[in-house]
Amino acid sequence: MNELTIVILLAIGVSGILLWLLIPRHKSSMPAASSFPANVNNALPTAKHYGYFPQIRQALSVADSIYLRENAPPHVARQALRERRAVARRFLEGLHEDFSNLARLGRMIAALSPEVSREQETERLILSLKFQVLYSLVWLRLSAGSLPLDQLEHLTGLVGRLATRMDAAMAQVSALSVSQLSGDVGG
Amino acid sequence: MNRLETLLTWLSVAFIIVLCGFAFVRKAQRALPFFVAYTCTLLANAFGVSLAYKLFGFRSLAAYYCYWILLLLNAGMRSLAIAELCRYKLRAYKGIWGLVWRALAGFSLLFFLHAAFDAWGQPNHLAMYSLTLDRDLDFASVAILAALLLIHNYYGLSLEPLQRTIAAGICLVCAVDVIGDTIVGNLFTGYLFPFFGANQNSIGSAVIHFYGRINDLWSTIHLIFFMAAIGVWCYALRRPLPARAEAPELLPVEVYRELSPAINMRLATFNDRLVELLKP
Repeated sequence: MNELTIVILLAIGVSGILLWLLIPRHKSSMPAASSFPANVNNALPTAKHYGYFPQIRQALSVADSIYLRENAPPHVARQALRERRAVARRFLEGLHEDFSNLARLGRMIAALSPEVSREQETERLILSLKFQVLYSLVWLRLSAGSLPLDQLEHLTGLVGRLATRMDAAMAQVSALSVSQLSGDVGG
Repeated sequence: MNRLETLLTWLSVAFIIVLCGFAFVRKAQRALPFFVAYTCTLLANAFGVSLAYKLFGFRSLAAYYCYWILLLLNAGMRSLAIAELCRYKLRAYKGIWGLVWRALAGFSLLFFLHAAFDAWGQPNHLAMYSLTLDRDLDFASVAILAALLLIHNYYGLSLEPLQRTIAAGICLVCAVDVIGDTIVGNLFTGYLFPFFGANQNSIGSAVIHFYGRINDLWSTIHLIFFMAAIGVWCYALRRPLPARAEAPELLPVEVYRELSPAINMRLATFNDRLVELLKP
């Protein structure tokens, strides 16, 4: 491939990305960073998939699988396992959403901060990219049936603690914003 | 110039005049002074080059120097307009602006130095230098606009419609010019380096004729896309400009200092667990 071909392909590729970025998109469920301080409590994300953890835990439990294999007809057991994998995949998608919300919270706080640390931002960017790769790998293994469902139980516990931390973070941001506003008014 | 090129040139001048008219009627110079300066430069360049062709002839050395120098001036003004687009929204977000402006400036400098290095020692030095610099600046423009929009998307910010349309127009012109400049640059460095010298034999004449046809074709394509971009800018300026959005109220710096490491730690834990899941 000569220089001409490379440059033309690069120009077309970069322009394509740029035009794709220029297309206005529908507003996401998260409010824009510019509206963030006005409604701090509503603006921050919650780990909403946490609410379904008990059911997911039950559905993915090893005891359930053993019970199905021992008591249900083979075709029913196979279908049930297929459906359990589908549920696990959807749950994984939910975890992806929770991760994205947390990462977005970090970016919103960064956007609205008068000072930003390069190390923190780089770290978050790398963590997000790493998550995308890992998520794809787990999703593929889950779809291929080579990932034991019970391993997902570890993640359910993690997201539970995440929800608690995010609630605390929301309260902290609210408190700081309110104290700043009071300070501004008082000062 | 052939008839089609002449027609397109005058049409593009008419388009630029309309664009300048829109820009001043809408008082765009208050919000985007460098973009308006760029449109004025386009107009001045169009008249300057036409005047040079009229006075000295299309194939004269004076017209040749005039064209290439004005091309560089154009690229410089466009770079300033892009820098203005970068600063327009992000400067309100002090932390992010402080983080990205150095990266964007470094990126631009890298492309500028690459152009200088690339053009160094080339034959037809002014044409080659201008072409290479113009191509690299075009490429840098597209890359910087892409980086700017990625940053906006990443931090959940959005460019206003006018700025977005201006960026789209610049992108269109630059992408087409990168391709055109590369093809013409290859012709210059290929058989045509004695183009303006006296050493033109019969083979040279045939090659120059071929070059002329390629160059005409690219000029036509460039003019068509250039007019399309001007059309896009005129469309964006058809309505009065909206009032500038108020600066966002920033959070206290402690919020970032306390929450950002905590959030990153949580995100890292997520990844650790996914890695555990993948272990055999």
